[in-house]
Amino acid sequence: MGYVDLSSYVRRAATQRELVVQPRMGMARPEEMRAGLLAVRDLPAWTAGTMTLDSYTRVGDLRGARAALDSGAALNGYPLVSHGAGVAAAVAGAVGEDIPVQVRHGSSDPRTIFATMAEAGLFCSEGGPVSYCLPYGRTPLPASVAAWAEGSEALAAAAHAAGEVAHLETFGGCLLGQMCPPSLLVAISVLEGLFFAQHGVASVSLSYAQQTSHEQDVEALRALSALAAELLPREVSRHVVLYTYMGVYPTTVRGAQRLLARSAALAVAGGAQRLIVKTEVEATRIPSVEDNLRALTLAAEAGRAAYAGQGVDPAPEVGSTGILEEARTLVLATLSESGDVGEALQRAFAKGLLDVPFCLHADNAGQSRSAIADDGRIEWVRTGRMPIVPQRRAASRGVTSTGLLAMLQQTARHEDGYDVGSLAIVGGGPRGLSVLERLAARLQEEPPGSGLDISLLDDVAVGSGRIWRPDQSELLLMNTVAGEVTMFSGPADDGPARPGAGPSLAEWWSTFDPERAGPDAFASRALYGRYLGFVLDRIEDALPEGVRLHRRHTRVLGMSRHGERWRLECADGEELYADRVALCTGHPRPAPSAEPDRVPADSAADLDLSAVRPDQVVGVLGLGLTFYDTLALLTEGRGGRYVEDGGTLRYVASGQEPLIVAGSRSGVPLRARGVNQKPAVHGYVPRVFTAERVAALRAGPAVTFRGDVLPWVLAEIMIVRAEAELRLAHGRPVALLTPAELAAVNRDPDPCRVVQEVSRRHGLTDEVPDLEAMAQPFRGVGFASPADYTAALLDLVAEDLALSAQGNADGPTKAGLDVLRDVRQLVRDAVDHGGLTAAAHEHEFVRWFEPLVSALAAGPPRDRLRQLVALVDAGVVRLLGPGFSVERDEHGLVASSPAVAGSRTRIDVLLDARIPAPDLRSSRDPLHRGLAAAGVLTPWVNRSAGDFLTGAVAVTATPFHPVDAAGDPVRSLHVLGIPTEGCRWFMQVGSGRPGPWGSFVKDADAIASTMLTALAAPAHTDRYDERVAL
Amino acid sequence: MNRPLVVLSSVSSDSHTWNLVYLQLLLEEHGCTVVNLGATTPDDLVADALREHRPDALVISSVNGHGAIDGARVMRHLAADPVTASVPAVIGGKLGVAGELGLDAEAALLAAGFHAVLSDPVQLVSTIAALAGQRRLEPAGA
Repeated sequence: MGYVDLSSYVRRAATQRELVVQPRMGMARPEEMRAGLLAVRDLPAWTAGTMTLDSYTRVGDLRGARAALDSGAALNGYPLVSHGAGVAAAVAGAVGEDIPVQVRHGSSDPRTIFATMAEAGLFCSEGGPVSYCLPYGRTPLPASVAAWAEGSEALAAAAHAAGEVAHLETFGGCLLGQMCPPSLLVAISVLEGLFFAQHGVASVSLSYAQQTSHEQDVEALRALSALAAELLPREVSRHVVLYTYMGVYPTTVRGAQRLLARSAALAVAGGAQRLIVKTEVEATRIPSVEDNLRALTLAAEAGRAAYAGQGVDPAPEVGSTGILEEARTLVLATLSESGDVGEALQRAFAKGLLDVPFCLHADNAGQSRSAIADDGRIEWVRTGRMPIVPQRRAASRGVTSTGLLAMLQQTARHEDGYDVGSLAIVGGGPRGLSVLERLAARLQEEPPGSGLDISLLDDVAVGSGRIWRPDQSELLLMNTVAGEVTMFSGPADDGPARPGAGPSLAEWWSTFDPERAGPDAFASRALYGRYLGFVLDRIEDALPEGVRLHRRHTRVLGMSRHGERWRLECADGEELYADRVALCTGHPRPAPSAEPDRVPADSAADLDLSAVRPDQVVGVLGLGLTFYDTLALLTEGRGGRYVEDGGTLRYVASGQEPLIVAGSRSGVPLRARGVNQKPAVHGYVPRVFTAERVAALRAGPAVTFRGDVLPWVLAEIMIVRAEAELRLAHGRPVALLTPAELAAVNRDPDPCRVVQEVSRRHGLTDEVPDLEAMAQPFRGVGFASPADYTAALLDLVAEDLALSAQGNADGPTKAGLDVLRDVRQLVRDAVDHGGLTAAAHEHEFVRWFEPLVSALAAGPPRDRLRQLVALVDAGVVRLLGPGFSVERDEHGLVASSPAVAGSRTRIDVLLDARIPAPDLRSSRDPLHRGLAAAGVLTPWVNRSAGDFLTGAVAVTATPFHPVDAAGDPVRSLHVLGIPTEGCRWFMQVGSGRPGPWGSFVKDADAIASTMLTALAAPAHTDRYDERVAL
Repeated sequence: MNRPLVVLSSVSSDSHTWNLVYLQLLLEEHGCTVVNLGATTPDDLVADALREHRPDALVISSVNGHGAIDGARVMRHLAADPVTASVPAVIGGKLGVAGELGLDAEAALLAAGFHAVLSDPVQLVSTIAALAGQRRLEPAGA
């Protein structure tokens, strides 16, 4: 027949410095088996073909194999005997003249298999009387030895008769696949080789399975070659074959590939000339032909690289730890039992001279134990009656069930990256960066005991995120003064900027743009984005050794549990595994508009205004921060400019501006902030709406907002307002309330009334602030014409500008309203996570109070209002009136205000300038949708005395674990920021503030602390793992 | 206090052994004496072991996905002899091909005579303790 002989093929490859690579591959149907062999042959590598038999044939259940074939049931290999010799010859013959073909089977009684092979002209197989007996099944060792003796002799004789040479590979270098000290693997492999030779097999290969230490494995492979050279008859041709790791296999593609590549390098370093590969799907399913081809290609390439790296010199020496001597002792002790190797093996096992650790077979003594030492070497713990002794005392601690699990999984966990902690922060904006900054600050203080990978993922801009990305228009401004913005959790000091100590935005800005920078200046959002990038760089600089930051410019499309980890599926096709994940995904993206003349709401930086032509009329819905941003883009962004003209600001149009027609429900643009008079580091100490009061509120059942919370906030505003008036009057700070009066306010169920009386006594403004009237001054007012409305509006804006000019400390009105910002955290403490009854939360807080706060205390820089006036004067902007609405008629869109006669205006395009609230229930984000569908994220429901369904992601109190569908916290996850809005209040905060930590930093730190504590905890090896299986 | 005696076994079609090694160590650590029958255990061998050792419990562990089918068959076999039928038996591991066993399949195993279907080794320890009439298994040497 002239089939290629494995031995000579391997020799030829070795002279060309090529590793022979071979799959384990078996298909039930002959045509598939044949196609698989052809595909293996056609790879540009030195491959050997394999026909792996199914498990029915392996155990001799030919009826079972036949039944499965007849019924079309799946078989996990090629049923050689059932198909018969003729079919086998045809299948193997397809490639047999090009590459060697080996039959692999795993049978303790190979006689029938070998007979069929011989009939088919196939003489190359593998196994062994010990290695295919002890680890599997219950065949007594003597029976296996007898069957293998007879089978080997028959195969050798048949080969001889056909003018061929039988080849058998020992499986003795594998045994249970893992946890066996190399000396015993080498010994059994050599003994099985001697057994084959004694039974007439003239060509053998000696196997060894990759274990857990490269150095130990190299030494073992060389010991195997040396011992075989010493003991095998000279006329028996031989080579060493390595098995890629046979224990619990990595489950990640990358981990599996890494382990395979390492095995190829090991084969070259140890002098093995053939490698049986494992595929990247080993741990999860039966590999396909394609899986096998990929593995073979990777292994061949890794083998070539190893040969190239080795140069022409022989591989470097490795230190000896006595594997060769120990193996020789075991082999010689066995051979001294009998001149017949088979008989010697039986006696050696019966006496315990050979004793496979953890092997449960009745013919194994079962007194030996092994363990993996800290350096990865497999050591003897107990050697029973074997003629060797444990060498290192360090390994003699005994093996516990937990320790065994850890050892069995060690290689897989290492290659999968489990021994390196992995944290992922999904969303690379300010919230994500704040978590990273606190992680880095803590790691700086206390470097981790082992490696740590931290991935920061953002598909727009890693570090700044979409909203603050550096490449947006410089016209878009922050609405917090630069001195109040920092991303470092501590002030700069003499050292370099680093996590925990770095400049505020204003400090950083002033280092390169001192003209414009200043604590009270408003930076552009793009500039803030660059600052965030600076912070990210400083964080990376400061990471201790072993901690790596991965900036991943991609979007996370989905997450699923993967053992104890999370598997993150990225849009770039990569997968990422993380122990802990913080979701800081920020503002949702809008759904695309179905109508071409409506632009959905989004961050102004992402509104595409390029299609808006100068001759068009643009409707803008909403008069909030995005409205001001939109104005800037459509005016200055189109070449217009402002000039100071005798105290008033005048707009000089470029002619490229469209006509902007805008409105909102209130018909009033967001009011300006008071000119900042507060130092950047300023801590407001509340007088009546105190932490103690909030704690007392939270101690009882859920409360209402307008009855139980708001009066204290209003009293606080009244006190601050009155004290601003007093300060104006006296030129110095004066307290409104005496200690006795303050105590009276705090005791009174109607605090506003008490403050009112005191204020009145001092002749100060005394009315209780009517937030609603302040926010909606045009409520119930009708205007006879657009001109009337515009005049009223401009008066209002002028008044607001005057109030703003008085400042946020000295101006009584703005100072009072600034209380709404100063007590924000206390309001959160009172309201978040169900502090209010369901009804109060929905109707008094979310629908009533939140819009009022936005209108009165979250406004833009005052220059924006001056610009608005200039634009109205220039006729570029027309504000339409309260109750602004847009409808469509047969000609297109028409905007109008029911409160302003003659306000109907036709518009060409409508921009929605209201940033939508996130809603988990209708999220378009695949990550959120997937996690919600899996029950990992759930919408938060306020169930205090009713049901208020929100779209917020339900989270626990700090550190903000999501609450799953079963109501349990998901401790390996955190959700921070905007997606939780509703469960928590006012999450749209994009920066920390210098000074004592506010909630922005506290939230981040709590998450960082929890993540690191969890990683430092011992590995969770106490759970049964189904992967613990050979 | 007597050490609970446990016969640990797989099923006839399952050749996995590391699960059995692990459970033996675990049970021994919790004060049990373990007779480990090893893998691919014929039904007869299980019955013989129960007759010979008269253990406090039989623990069947299988991870090849056929445990539910094979386990039920073992119980039918044991039911034929009052001696073997009287030994409380529990089963665990990866019992179904598709991973988690459904409630129906669990109910079928209970109906076949298993005292419990376990998914976690912690449950195993407490279950054996209960079967052995002890409140809790003391760690060996404690």
